[in-house]
Amino acid sequence: MSARWGCGYAGRVLLVDLTAGRSTIEPLDHGVARRFLGGRGLNMRVLYDEVTPGVHPLSPENRLMFATGPLVGTHFPGACRVNVSARSPLTGILGDSNAGGFFGPELKYAGFDQVIIQGRAPRPVYLFITDEGAHLRPAEHLWGLDVWETQQAIRSELGDEGVQVGVAGPAAENGVLFAGVFFNLARPAARTGMGTVMASKNRKAVAVRGRGMVRVADPAAFASLVGTADAAIFAHPEYDARRRLGTTRLVRALHGLGCLASFHFRTGCFPGVDRVSGERLAATYRVKGKACFGCTIPCSRFFRIESGPFAGLASEGPEFEGLAGFSSRVGNDDLAVALRAIDMCNRYGMDVISASEAISFVMELGEAGLVSSREADGLDLRWGNANTILALLEKICRREGIGDVLAGGVRRAAELIGRGSERYAMHVKGLEVFQADPRGIKGYALGVAVASRGGDHLRSEPWFELTGDSEEATRRFGEAEAAQRLSPRGKGRLVKYYEERCALADCLQVCKNTLVNMEILPYDQAACILAAATGWEFSEEELQASCERLVNLERCYNARLGLGRADDTLPDRFTREPLPPDSGPSAGSVVELDQMLDEYYLARGWDLSTGLPKGETLSRLGLEISVNPGAAAPGGCS
Amino acid sequence: MYDLRIVVEEVRGFCDMPMRPGDYCELRGSRLSIPDGRYFCMWALQSVLPLLPVKQRRIAEENDWIPRTFRVTCPDPDGMVILRIEQLDARDRSPVDQPGARGDSAVERPAPTGRTLVEQPNARQWTPAEGNERGPLPRMLVNSRMCSGCRSCELACSYRHEGVFAPSLSRITVRKDEVGGADEPVVCRQCGVARCVQVCPCGALARNPRTGAVRVDAGLCMRCGDCVAACPFGAIRIHPDTALPLICDLCEGDPACVGRCATGALRYGRAGDLRHAAATGPGVAGEATAGRRRDGGAAECEAGGQVK
Ligand code: SF4
Ligand code: SF4
Repeated sequence: MSARWGCGYAGRVLLVDLTAGRSTIEPLDHGVARRFLGGRGLNMRVLYDEVTPGVHPLSPENRLMFATGPLVGTHFPGACRVNVSARSPLTGILGDSNAGGFFGPELKYAGFDQVIIQGRAPRPVYLFITDEGAHLRPAEHLWGLDVWETQQAIRSELGDEGVQVGVAGPAAENGVLFAGVFFNLARPAARTGMGTVMASKNRKAVAVRGRGMVRVADPAAFASLVGTADAAIFAHPEYDARRRLGTTRLVRALHGLGCLASFHFRTGCFPGVDRVSGERLAATYRVKGKACFGCTIPCSRFFRIESGPFAGLASEGPEFEGLAGFSSRVGNDDLAVALRAIDMCNRYGMDVISASEAISFVMELGEAGLVSSREADGLDLRWGNANTILALLEKICRREGIGDVLAGGVRRAAELIGRGSERYAMHVKGLEVFQADPRGIKGYALGVAVASRGGDHLRSEPWFELTGDSEEATRRFGEAEAAQRLSPRGKGRLVKYYEERCALADCLQVCKNTLVNMEILPYDQAACILAAATGWEFSEEELQASCERLVNLERCYNARLGLGRADDTLPDRFTREPLPPDSGPSAGSVVELDQMLDEYYLARGWDLSTGLPKGETLSRLGLEISVNPGAAAPGGCS
Repeated sequence: MYDLRIVVEEVRGFCDMPMRPGDYCELRGSRLSIPDGRYFCMWALQSVLPLLPVKQRRIAEENDWIPRTFRVTCPDPDGMVILRIEQLDARDRSPVDQPGARGDSAVERPAPTGRTLVEQPNARQWTPAEGNERGPLPRMLVNSRMCSGCRSCELACSYRHEGVFAPSLSRITVRKDEVGGADEPVVCRQCGVARCVQVCPCGALARNPRTGAVRVDAGLCMRCGDCVAACPFGAIRIHPDTALPLICDLCEGDPACVGRCATGALRYGRAGDLRHAAATGPGVAGEATAGRRRDGGAAECEAGGQVK
């Protein structure tokens, strides 16, 4: 069936060369769109083909890519997202991050599925994308402004409040390696240092304004499938909690399970939880619900602090990662302080997960006597010290004193500090791990260990292990214990399944809250809605294979950089130190990683000893690449 | 002492009562009476009350403003109900000759666009507030405090009217102040006496008698944009290709945006009347489902919104 560009896909890719100050518009390749679907898939293909192992992450040759998906801009709930990808300066491997908000749809209305940027501008610029293409505009006057100031300055300079802007904040300019690209008030593509890559190209921001439209091939079928999705969302038992609390409900929930990252993972429960929980936030500072583009849940919130030392602080969010990061993880039980810390990250443009790990990391080093207060610029390193938390964020952003040590992430910080501090650095493949303790959720633990962008949960989110539904687990994963969070059994197949669901979400650019956590849009419906949107025939199997293909391609990318089974690991704390007795129902638990890895590789068709895809697996998925660990393999993947 | 008659002279905006031009009440001494079967809005009444005792009295002072003041506006800025205080002749109860009081002759008044507008005194616009035999018609009600700023309504609108997803073609727009956390859906309010209809120089705008929505006659419209400037709510936009005004047509009584709004920020009904919310008809499948969710969501949102 022939493709009709303009239905679902916009059909255009924008290529920008900042060195030459040139841009071109190319048609999106049909074959590529079919095989890689959109978003993360499109970006990873370019990353594999063009960002070969010789390309340094902060060199002009690194590609910075923004991609949306075929449903973005339609009213499919939560189809609003954008993936920002490049080789990561933080981890040195695959870099990729996903954001909601309003940027993705605007890019679609401007008529682009993907923007690929290379080179380095001779002077600071920002990129303004309209339906006609790219315009490079001077940004000297924006350099040094924070995220919000930059957005406002660009909107007022362009005289249009409808312009959507992605910003590299001051942290990115200063070379903090975990700086993100930030959209709207608090909608960052925060992980793996994509903002740092953007700033390294002398590019302060990317702004977009689209006047066009997104068509769908079969409007009636599309509307009825959206109706099905709506109904499933509204009927979901968690609907009301999600709309009131968003992801912040996890603070209390994980504390209850005994696996909330507390005091830098020294324990799984946080005594001050009720003072900093999502429920507490909802009862105190929450003003109203806020949404990403086209979302019918909606899970975000606007809050305002009316009194006290942080009176006047108002923003959107926060999400669980920021809230737990700046409360339980650093041992702080003052909600307003946590909100201020998150606000600083949002304005400076830093990843809250990496930043909160950096801070809790030094706090633990202080406690263990490995770093003295004097070495930490005189700061009091005791848990939860509000002044220290906020001062460290400031120092990291400016790369000042101890902040300079931390600004490269904890893996580098531990190398610089030495003295055995490595064992306190909570990262996988150089990326700081999230706010749940993997020892209490073993499917997540496996997901974090194997994730293609490093220690991250959003590549798999195997939430099903929290259900305890043995029957369903047997049916779906052939192992009743797949539904038991403390059991290592069945987790290989579980994680494989959810990695592919996450890949689907990241390719269609639909929110993982709906597509993964609420299990909206199973593969058969996804195939139907893609067909209704694009006018192409899609089968359930083909779609699932595309997701599997993407996971394999990402593995090949990292394999080419020399990564393999030995890198699919977790910090020793998670595999060797049982959660202490005060960790409630998770006490005594450690992650039995090796056994889960075996099962996972087996499920994936990857070699058990190297952790790399077997030739037959790749050819089944139509990936004509050979993986040779460590060797820079030439050639493309399409 | 004069007897007074307080008359609704004009409804320039949207009056939710509804008050209709010509509605009145009378004051004799301190006794207030409203004609049988009619009613009078408390807000409108209280806006004239402070003036009534002095208007009852003859004032000799030439420099006082009171003797020259006969009109008062109801405090609801959306309503813009103009009330006229008439002093009655004791013998035949006809209004005494009053400077500035609108008699039976045509009155000239500058339109917001600068063009002079000639209004025929008896040619009132049909107003949706008056409704039909089934009672007052529903209209678009907005509670921006509940709005999450998702812009689903914009998509629902462009999809219903144009068959595509394009906020630039939507009749409803969500105005955002990101830093302030404010989201305000801007939508046609179906004014009683609609400025857009009034200023249109070619009679291209007219009310749909069934729904009360303003209809654009593409054949008559000369694309001057006067209605855009005239609308007090900024609810009209220009179609980027055809240059025709994009005005909410209430989707023939089944607004797609309302059906798609998951928070309850948009309703199609009458203020204070929950029947219409429940009775909102089904739209496209997806929209209908969202609409059904509305009330539960609204209650929750409101509770959330009040927490400070
Ligand atoms: S378009 Fe504006 S002036 Fe006309 S009826 Fe609607 S709100 Fe009133
Ligand atoms: S659909 Fe409802 S909540 Fe969403 S922007 Fe429109 S009015 Fe606001």
